[in-house]
Amino acid sequence: MREQPNGKIATDAIKAWQLSAHLYALISLLITIGSIVVYSLFDFLPIWIVYTIAGLTILEWLVTAFIIPKLRWRRWRYQVFDQEIYIQHGVLIVTRTIVPMIRVQHVDTEQGPILKKYKLSTLKISTAATTHQIPALSEEEASDLRDQISELARVEQDDV
Amino acid sequence: MMSKPKRLHPAAMIFHIIQTLKQSILGFLPVAIAFISNGGLFYLMIAIPIVVVLIILFSFLSWLRFTYRLEEDQLRIERGIFIRKKRTISKHRIQSIDLSQNIIHRIFGLTKLEIETAGNDSSTDAGLSAVTMADGQMLHNELKYKKHVSEAASEESSEEVKTEPEEKNEANLPQRKITVKALLITGSTSASFGILIGIFGFAFSQVETFIPDRFYDETARWVLSLGLQIIIILCLIVLLYLWLLSILYSVIKDWNFTITRYEKELFITRGLLEKKQTTIPLKRIQAVGIKESPLHQLFGFIRVYVEIASGDTKNNQEMNTIIFPLLRKKEFGAFLATFLPEYHYSVGNLIRLPRKALPYYLFRSIDLLLLAVIVVGIFFSPYIWIPVILMIITGIYGWAAFKSAGYAIDEQQITVQTRRFSKDTVFIPQRRIQALQRKQHILHRKQSLATIDMAILNKASGRHFVIKELRVTDSNQIADWYSSRKES
Repeated sequence: MREQPNGKIATDAIKAWQLSAHLYALISLLITIGSIVVYSLFDFLPIWIVYTIAGLTILEWLVTAFIIPKLRWRRWRYQVFDQEIYIQHGVLIVTRTIVPMIRVQHVDTEQGPILKKYKLSTLKISTAATTHQIPALSEEEASDLRDQISELARVEQDDV
Repeated sequence: MMSKPKRLHPAAMIFHIIQTLKQSILGFLPVAIAFISNGGLFYLMIAIPIVVVLIILFSFLSWLRFTYRLEEDQLRIERGIFIRKKRTISKHRIQSIDLSQNIIHRIFGLTKLEIETAGNDSSTDAGLSAVTMADGQMLHNELKYKKHVSEAASEESSEEVKTEPEEKNEANLPQRKITVKALLITGSTSASFGILIGIFGFAFSQVETFIPDRFYDETARWVLSLGLQIIIILCLIVLLYLWLLSILYSVIKDWNFTITRYEKELFITRGLLEKKQTTIPLKRIQAVGIKESPLHQLFGFIRVYVEIASGDTKNNQEMNTIIFPLLRKKEFGAFLATFLPEYHYSVGNLIRLPRKALPYYLFRSIDLLLLAVIVVGIFFSPYIWIPVILMIITGIYGWAAFKSAGYAIDEQQITVQTRRFSKDTVFIPQRRIQALQRKQHILHRKQSLATIDMAILNKASGRHFVIKELRVTDSNQIADWYSSRKES
């Protein structure tokens, strides 16, 4: 666990994360608009609350859409060895995970509408007790990796 | 081997009735109370017998429609009054078979049979709520491994089997029975005391609303007139009662707690009123642990448990399975060597945390109270001592957690020691760890500390053993031990 894994995830992951951050920002935008409406219709809401909400909305949008995706992408690493999978992720808290192949129960690929737009998919690796994922791999890479892992994991499993 | 479908013993109806009543009483009670308070007592008197008759009828029908039979390597169960459900359980899928008897079972010489299969879906498990002891034993032996069949065959002749199934152990198998003295110690020092106080308080608060106001006022006046000393004595008597109750509870629960080691499984029997048998196949055991509550620690006692992989989370049982309720710590090494020689007891050479981890432990234990101190200090400064004292107590816990934490690697086994309230020492084989994680935040990275998280499978979906703020070098050592490729 001294060296970080060497495989990077797809560069388009940044775009996908940015897009979903924009979408989430829309929710806060709606809340801001709501507070402005309430403020202008009734007078029980002090103006500073409206300012705070608006400020937080902008801040959240800037941070989640323009700062975090790049940092997150830079941190995300994975590497598949014959006997184990090695993953690193996390912006503030860096987590490195080792999953031995013989513990892998099944592997899935998953694709939501945003990932589909960028032709990406998420790889999910499940053990009996935990689930780990590698988000945003290119479609071919994800399905290749899925097949590769399930092949490697097919060794004789001793109970659980 | 039977191939004809068989019904349960008719006493199963009694269990069905009791169970239905238990489930419906909470729903019916508010309705009944509403009826009575609106003067509908008459209708209630008519309704109750009808409901009772219906319940009895349904119990009879469900008994009538419930059949089981043994076929080759399978147990087939058919049940359901309107919707017929058929279930086939293959012998190979069965993880464990438990026989247990409560008072009613004992009166009729019956037993309850519970079959547990792998997987997280408890609905795939099966239970026969009442079969005769002979049938229960027969099913148990039929559905178990071959070895047991021969074992049971020899016992069948010894007649004792009918009433005391646990008596079947051959003398040369490792076995340990709890002493009455140890049982009393368990009861008198167990946490169930606290739980009982809680239940008592809750029950009192519920009953309180039913006591007529006048009576309540008079009693309150009388109690207050007694003076402080007598009130204190009364409280002490109540506490003493609860304490005795908790002793009684653990005596009833763990009476004759006996653990036996067979070749491939551990076998536990316990209970005074309700005899419980549990079979734990060794290959399902994920980790062995010992727990020391502060009180037990003071006297050098421990409680031994195992983490088992199984989908059985019904009856909100405890997460882990206790395999011996009370043991002297110095006896544990021998205990482990006798019953689970697959595990080693290695606690002497624990690698502890570095000094720089202490602030994290202290801060985590007091963070909320620190906030409380600040708030109370600003708004209610005369009462600041309350959160301050609490903060000191939890701070001591944080310090104790820091002192307790550590790990030791011993060939294929890692020993992890942590403390929440009780000190918890767990022995985990390398191949039982499902995944290993190392977490570091920015401060950790600056101070070269790291948190290690090891996940194993247990009754719920998994248990994580977390050692916080290890040295990075130590975390690397654990990773190297766990990983199949050796980084240099």
